[in-house]
Amino acid sequence: MSYNIAVVGFGLTGRLAALELSLKHNVTVYEAGDEQALDSAGRVAAAMLAPLAESVLCEQDLALLGLDSVARWPSILAQLDDEVFFQQQGSLVVAHQQDKGDLQSFIQRLKPLAGHHGHPLTGSQISELEPELAGRFNQGVYLPCEGQIDNQAFYQASFNTLKQRKVSFKFAQKIDVGCEELKQSFDYIIDCRGLGAKSTVCKLRGVRGEVVRLYAPEVNLTRPVRLMHPRYPIYIAPKPNYQYVIGATEIESQDNGPATVRSTLELLSAAYTVHSGFAEARVLSIQTGLRPAFSDNRPQVTQQQQLISINGLYRHGYLLAPSLVADAVARIN
Amino acid sequence: MSSAISDSFSIYGEQFTSRLLIGSALYPSPAIMADSIVASGAQVVTVSLRRQQSVAAGDDFWQLIKDTGLKILPNTAGCHSVKEAVTLAQMCREVFATDWIKLELIGDEYNLQPDPFALLEATKILLAEGFKVLPYCTDDLVLCQRLADAGCEVLMPWGAPIGTGKGLLNQYNLKTIRERLPNTTLIVDAGLGLPSHACQALELGYDAVLLNSAIAGAGCPVTMSHAFKAAVDAGRFAYRAKAMPEKDVAAPSTPTMGMPFWHQEFGIKNKN
Repeated sequence: MSYNIAVVGFGLTGRLAALELSLKHNVTVYEAGDEQALDSAGRVAAAMLAPLAESVLCEQDLALLGLDSVARWPSILAQLDDEVFFQQQGSLVVAHQQDKGDLQSFIQRLKPLAGHHGHPLTGSQISELEPELAGRFNQGVYLPCEGQIDNQAFYQASFNTLKQRKVSFKFAQKIDVGCEELKQSFDYIIDCRGLGAKSTVCKLRGVRGEVVRLYAPEVNLTRPVRLMHPRYPIYIAPKPNYQYVIGATEIESQDNGPATVRSTLELLSAAYTVHSGFAEARVLSIQTGLRPAFSDNRPQVTQQQQLISINGLYRHGYLLAPSLVADAVARIN
Repeated sequence: MSSAISDSFSIYGEQFTSRLLIGSALYPSPAIMADSIVASGAQVVTVSLRRQQSVAAGDDFWQLIKDTGLKILPNTAGCHSVKEAVTLAQMCREVFATDWIKLELIGDEYNLQPDPFALLEATKILLAEGFKVLPYCTDDLVLCQRLADAGCEVLMPWGAPIGTGKGLLNQYNLKTIRERLPNTTLIVDAGLGLPSHACQALELGYDAVLLNSAIAGAGCPVTMSHAFKAAVDAGRFAYRAKAMPEKDVAAPSTPTMGMPFWHQEFGIKNKN
């Protein structure tokens, strides 16, 4: 059976929901901004797919959900007309000698996930995986099953494919998901507004994050690299064409203003200690985003009759969205 | 024996019965933070006026802290100069509507060691401006004396560098400060990792402990919060009960009725 469905919010979850639903149903997308959805957290993100590393911070069930999501990404990207960079060659976690305590505590907190677990690495094993890190680190961990995607490319490609599928778009429309007009016109409404739902969704808050995008032709890292540091834990996510995303700060604040000098210095100096080739990198952008989060930092999929809401993905957008969207879509099919 | 409940200590004239002051950073989620704070039984919670944080109505994180109903102790975390710390203290007074300030002035970026010289200078400025200063300091007796002479009624020497979880690295120093400043409220701040560390601080006669990472960074923060509450109570009871003197020679705790005395003497003679 084919339904008329409204997807409200065209960030990461909105795009995934529209892609999934437009295979069978008539989909209309509402978005407060334009097709770029510049305010959405998924646009700013580094788009790491790191269920093992995140298991250090989140509960086991969420990390397992992440593993499930990672497995869904290839078939999602296969639907798209344009190619989107996706990589799953594992990731690397390293620490400088003086910070080995932070690496040890990270290793202790890793939760084994369905047979996947971290593999401790010596300095020479690190250089086998990432030759350009040779001699820089004596200790690290390899996390298999981890990867990343190019979120900028995914944003563009998903829009292109949805246009091909004749999905209708209502941009610059801030709409009340509970309004009669929507209820009358659509069989289902999928609320993917993220922080845009803050005024109506209880206990939803923004968690500020800042990321830097660099063009660094002197750096050849093939996998995401995390640096354990007592104060500046960062990750470096390599994207195609020598682009690297350095992220991310995490600040309990609703402020969506430009990145501060302090945050920028922290991110960039930590990246420089991983690879000195970043010294001559070009700064392509320094972006700020607000991650939508509930007070337990866990995502929620909820349903009230014809209204289905997906929200609170916190720092786990790319890691969890495919499974959460699948959950929401299953309620319709 | 009176209960721990009737036993209070003073922070600038205000009485508190909970001897655990708790931080509000680094928890896995705000919900776990709120539950951990409740489990700790703390009456004082420290907060930092963070970067880019607006404390205006609508800031959910700040609202959550206010909802705890606890006394707020703002801190100057991350300040490296007298000027920075004084300015941040003034902002905190406006924003949090309290003249309490945990004065944190970092002298070394890597182990976050307090700068004793700048700390004393900033303390004097803030006391003159009417602040109730709780300085986070090293365990140096002379520094503590100077801070007390300046007018601090509360001092917060470290156990170990912030976030290291190493416990009381120099018990001798901490004990000396306690003995030499009997009328100052003393709180061990920073460096604790285990409940036994907190217990030791209270056993030494410290009035309270202030900690954050030991709870927030535990595998289960709420359970660890319970553990610290119990440890602080244990340490305080122990201090009030006055420990038995330490001895070098074993003394039987069970009366040795019926054992002939010559037997032991014989043993000793034989050894000689």
